[in-house]
Amino acid sequence: MNPYVLTVLLSSLGLGTTLTFASSHWLLAWMGLEINTLAIVPLMAQHHHPRAVEATTKYFLTQATAAAMILFASTTNAWITGEWDMNNMSNPIASTMIITALALKIGLAPMHFWMPEVLQGLDLLTGLILSTWQKLAPLALIVQTAQAIDPMLLTALGLTSTLVGGWGGLNQTQLRKILAYSSIAHMGWMLIVLQYAPQLTLLALLTYIFMTSAAFLTLKVSSATKVNTLAVVWSKSPVLTATTALVLLSLGGLPPLTGFMPKWLILQELAKQSLPLTATVMALAALLSLYFYLRLCYAMTLTISPNTTAATTPWRAQTTQASLPLALFTTMALGLLPVSPAIVMLVT
Amino acid sequence: MAVSRKALKALSGVYGVTHRQPLFFPSKLGCSAILSTRSVFERDYRRPGQPPDTRWPWQKIHFDFSKGVEGIKKHIGLLKDEFVQRWTGPEGRPLLEHMLEQTRVQWEFRGPESLDQWVVSSDQEIGGHSVAYTKLGKNNTTCFLYGSLCSTPPRDGETRYSGYCTLRSKQPLASFDRKKTYDWSSFNTLHMRIRGDGRPWMVNVSAETFFSHQRDDIYSYFLYTRGGPYWQDVKIPFSKFFLSSRGRIQDNQHVLWLDKVKSIGFTLGDKADGPFQLEIDFIGLCNDLAHTEEFAYELYKRNPEV
Repeated sequence: MNPYVLTVLLSSLGLGTTLTFASSHWLLAWMGLEINTLAIVPLMAQHHHPRAVEATTKYFLTQATAAAMILFASTTNAWITGEWDMNNMSNPIASTMIITALALKIGLAPMHFWMPEVLQGLDLLTGLILSTWQKLAPLALIVQTAQAIDPMLLTALGLTSTLVGGWGGLNQTQLRKILAYSSIAHMGWMLIVLQYAPQLTLLALLTYIFMTSAAFLTLKVSSATKVNTLAVVWSKSPVLTATTALVLLSLGGLPPLTGFMPKWLILQELAKQSLPLTATVMALAALLSLYFYLRLCYAMTLTISPNTTAATTPWRAQTTQASLPLALFTTMALGLLPVSPAIVMLVT
Repeated sequence: MAVSRKALKALSGVYGVTHRQPLFFPSKLGCSAILSTRSVFERDYRRPGQPPDTRWPWQKIHFDFSKGVEGIKKHIGLLKDEFVQRWTGPEGRPLLEHMLEQTRVQWEFRGPESLDQWVVSSDQEIGGHSVAYTKLGKNNTTCFLYGSLCSTPPRDGETRYSGYCTLRSKQPLASFDRKKTYDWSSFNTLHMRIRGDGRPWMVNVSAETFFSHQRDDIYSYFLYTRGGPYWQDVKIPFSKFFLSSRGRIQDNQHVLWLDKVKSIGFTLGDKADGPFQLEIDFIGLCNDLAHTEEFAYELYKRNPEV
């Protein structure tokens, strides 16, 4: 892509999220979300492949629907209460509509159906931006409006997302779809604790960003989009294979890796709030996700596939690839659990 | 001068909205006797030459309780299988089997029910005179596609070329008639065993197209048959398939993504009138490890800056 166009698009992405972060008026927040949507559309369709264009169209339609719902809900709230301020969502219809729209924006179940299809049609870097950066602005809005939303609805969204994310990812052989279902499940974990400890939501978001970035960047380096390709990565870069396995287990929430930290703190908070059943269901749903992460680890590291990949791309060493982001995110995805007390102090 | 088909459709649409001329009420307007029996909401394609279907929608329904019960049993059984298969692995098989798979026979014609998965059609749909039929070959082990091509265009004032016939597979359906797609991403070559009569056919693979502007996208390649009593093993890598839309080869070429394949088809349109035959033993897929090409067609910059 033309570097000037790329600069404009990436700056617009940054601008949109920053606008939403900085806003307390619903219209400005909506504008930030729309700038984000419009800026990422050319990035998604840059390869002009029919599937990329299809993914872009699906993404645009869902995001535009969600943005229209946000506008409608905020206008309704302004009409009834006279307030455009985000902290004054006192109308229940407006607040329910807002959370539904924001759930559609970030792909929470049951508004998640677009997510695997869209991620499958994109290349890995754009998929990474979609899974990480595009979630920041809607989550900021959810955190700000959480106290006005029905707690049962938040709990239902969180539980459903975790269960659907685990169930849906079980039989996927396409890695981008697996990461999409992983994203849905992690969003569920973020939402379940929102009403009790929003700082844990932010912590879960940060750790999710590190782990997902590490996963996407590893797949980009190994040019792997299917489980079968992942099975032969060990012969190309053995060290990366080992660290990728650990990153996947971190996504699954196993100690002593970073991914254990948010899950542990969230379960602890749920137990403190006298919600043992919710905590048990969340832990059991996490097992479903862990199963498909383990399956990927098994395919990649615990077996030696007799097949060799026929594609030339993995053989070609990409000398111009920047390795610093991958190294950084992998380290953070694996090694932050021992510093949990410091992180908890920083966040709370 | 014949009225163009589009004008006829527009007129019939207008009349169809205002009144539907069924069996009960004779048409009052002379010229609308033919046009007014078509409704804009008709979804079934009407082949030229066939009389229009003037029945009311409720007359088209054949309500049968036992058919309903069988349908419910079948679909609930399929849904239950889908849930249970999840515990085994992708597509109901263990992951190891998926990872080790290097060949797969997708279609083999071993009984009359195998022909139900295929649709044969010819240019009779647009008023041409070609005919095409399928039957099972010797010992019910092959699919025998035969017929006769006729490239005389239909006399409707707008069609200039004719003379084709095609055999296309139906899209697989999940429970409750939801459309499913094949996942051929573990493979890179199409392997068929066929016996033709020397005519050049085209193999068309259609990927899943969600939006209407992609509905006519088809990836095609040529299949040259050698006439004769000997079977022919044809291996076509998927990297060779080129993209065409409504029969027009596109300038922007893209590789066929194999994770969602809808159907495969064979088309004959070689402008040679007369009988044709094609016998297919099986259609399968294989992973040719020696084939490293990702896409056979280079894209060059059109309108380069000078």
